[in-house]
Amino acid sequence: MTNTLEKLREIVARDYKIAPALLTSESLLEELGVDSLGVAELLFNIEDEFNINVPPEPVTLVTLGDVVTYIDALVLAQSIEAPQQSNSLSASA
Amino acid sequence: MGLKRRVAVTGMGVVSPLGNTPAELFCNAAGGRSGVHRLQASFSHRLMAPLVASAKFEGSDYFEPQRLRMLDRVSQFALVAARQAIADAAQDLKALDPSRIGIFVGTGMGGSHSNDDGYKTLYGDASDRIKPFTVLLGMYNAPAAWIGIEHGICGPNLTYSTACSSSAVAIGEAWQRIAFDDIDVAIAGGTEAPLAFGSLKAWEALHTLATIDANEPSASCKPFSKNRSGMVLAEGAAMLVLEAWEHAVSRGASIHGEILGYGLTTDAGHITRPSEQGQAAAMRAALRSAALAPGDIDAINAHGTGTQANDAVETAAIKAVFGAQAEHIPISATKAMHGHLLGAAGALECLLSLLAIQQATALPTMHLNTPDPECDLDYVANIARSGIAVRTMLSNSFAFGGTNAVLVLGRTDSAIKI
Repeated sequence: MTNTLEKLREIVARDYKIAPALLTSESLLEELGVDSLGVAELLFNIEDEFNINVPPEPVTLVTLGDVVTYIDALVLAQSIEAPQQSNSLSASA
Repeated sequence: MGLKRRVAVTGMGVVSPLGNTPAELFCNAAGGRSGVHRLQASFSHRLMAPLVASAKFEGSDYFEPQRLRMLDRVSQFALVAARQAIADAAQDLKALDPSRIGIFVGTGMGGSHSNDDGYKTLYGDASDRIKPFTVLLGMYNAPAAWIGIEHGICGPNLTYSTACSSSAVAIGEAWQRIAFDDIDVAIAGGTEAPLAFGSLKAWEALHTLATIDANEPSASCKPFSKNRSGMVLAEGAAMLVLEAWEHAVSRGASIHGEILGYGLTTDAGHITRPSEQGQAAAMRAALRSAALAPGDIDAINAHGTGTQANDAVETAAIKAVFGAQAEHIPISATKAMHGHLLGAAGALECLLSLLAIQQATALPTMHLNTPDPECDLDYVANIARSGIAVRTMLSNSFAFGGTNAVLVLGRTDSAIKI
């Protein structure tokens, strides 16, 4: 969680030109200038940074903390899926 | 249909290969300077004739990073040209009823850089990670939409895509809306940013682009010259503020000129081959809408692309409309210098023509050094002609798809600024 928040703060600070000190887990995305389109862009950018795939289903994210929770859940889920995928690949090979 | 209102041009803005202000553009055009050059790009070696006319323009000079990420180059050009035009008009748009202001933009290729990037990601890089804003960057109405958002304009917001006549159509349609009292003010013009690899290759495949002049690449586009070999693709935008005449006069606006009329016809023949009848019909329709006779026209800005087909057909069409008078009308083909801005060409040439009227100048048709028996009119070859009385001009724009648009432009006594 803490590492995810730190990394996310860096990304938002870089892409939205916001002082990192102003970014907390309680920060409202709308107030940071990240509207619904901005969230789509943010999720696109974090795919590479966190090595995850963001599913196409819509998701409601209000605060920076919500994004952190969402990322952590995806990282956890996809780290569990990944070995299974590699097992099934080797099995089929 | 009620009485037509007169329509004044009170603002001008431009991004072009010949400069990013109207004054710089006109100065370079009157001086016969060419914006055509060899393209220095990673993909130049894959083009048969890597020639373009590009604008000196960096989006980061005009937009914050957050906004810039949402804007294809075509929208960047449009926004900058519109800002200039609105500032030039010195009109506080916020003081007006926003529903009485309209936006009319022509573009032939929309956000082609963004679409090209998307295809490269998908097919070139075999990646499925298309940028989330690709649709918003590439859609054809993005430039007009962004102008509306930036200036809070709530009247008609329309985008016209009729290839090379797109922005002449946009200006003509805006003129009609004002003339018939639907709106009082319009931002009207065109924008184009077609210099992406995919677009350049697509145009190359049509065999309409100029070959490189080995001695002087900047002289490769040669309208009306026997040795013409085609057009050179170019980028940029031109925007005008159009205003109901009384509206402009009552606020003491400085008036650049007047839109007197607009003619629009369709060939309904071949998808690319120009039609003498179609072009002539558009010129006649424009004269009718301006209530002028052929003898009232002092000069013409030709479509003059530098292709074999267009220039001969346009010459014949001008002769058909103007008869014996045709050989006495100065005809300028400025694409030799600024290249072909496709959907923005009509607006750029309309703007240049308004400046030419103000400055009593016929702009030169450069690189015209080999007479063609099929092109035997007065094209103001290679040297501008100043000190001539120009009260009225036609600006011709003829397009693939067969849409012919002609604007009639007029001088005003108060048109003194540049």
